[in-house]
Amino acid sequence: MAEKRRAIVKIKPKKYVVGDIVKVSFMVQHPMETGMAKDKETGEVKSAHYIEDITFSFEGEPFTKMKVWESISADPFFSVQYKVEKAGKITVDYTDNLGEKNTKSKKVKPKKAKTENA
Amino acid sequence: MERRKFIKNIMAVSATVAVPSMVFADLNASKKTVSTIEGNTTRKVSNIPTVKGTNDLPYEEALKAIIGEAELKDAKKVKLTVPEIAENGAVVPVKVSVESPMTQEDYVKSIHILNTKNANSRCVDVMLTVKNAEAKFASRVKLAESQDIVAVVGLSDGTFMKVAKSVKVTIGGCG
Repeated sequence: MAEKRRAIVKIKPKKYVVGDIVKVSFMVQHPMETGMAKDKETGEVKSAHYIEDITFSFEGEPFTKMKVWESISADPFFSVQYKVEKAGKITVDYTDNLGEKNTKSKKVKPKKAKTENA
Repeated sequence: MERRKFIKNIMAVSATVAVPSMVFADLNASKKTVSTIEGNTTRKVSNIPTVKGTNDLPYEEALKAIIGEAELKDAKKVKLTVPEIAENGAVVPVKVSVESPMTQEDYVKSIHILNTKNANSRCVDVMLTVKNAEAKFASRVKLAESQDIVAVVGLSDGTFMKVAKSVKVTIGGCG
């Protein structure tokens, strides 16, 4: 349980201004066991262990929610689009079926928009 | 005479060799059945026929649970991108994009990704809001065998659209 999971939140493209639509992707190290696979050495069925809920939020306001089941690959990856309105923080909360809760966040820093009259 | 003796001997030896081996084979077989009946290995035995996850749901039921009795359109606005042939069933990339203005009146409410032949046919449900500004989603799924990937898209007016594409899987990815 106490095993620390490595997670990444990425925003693409790297340079964006207010009003741009960016791709927010989230990756996490997780076994995503289905509860059907057997251990190759002992022959015992491994118990199910998978992520159930993922919430993407900006400054505490959720904008995308996901409900996940076992059929997602190990070390899962999800990406959605988001329209940048101001600087802040995107936070991703995820919970798995054993009750393990984690969060990962990424700062949103839009570049200054180019002045068109210059 | 010697030849006859020789043949006799061979017969005798072969008989003595063959009989016990058969007997042992029978014994072994009986041991196996006995142990299973006694329940020494009940846990392992029970695992073999019921290879099932905790939340199995066949495709038809899953689809019904999502759309209820709403309309289901076969829409051109939904673009589902999957590989035609997936060499490794454990990692199959899936991309969904929907043409939508994403305004408060008309936006894509949810994207559901299903498969038709896995034990649990639900993969992921994505609930989108207006803040997403574009209805696009990408992930990776596991497929046990060659089957269809289905994307069901729910719109804000309560209608649903469905797109299905088949994927050939060379090595299954579920255990």
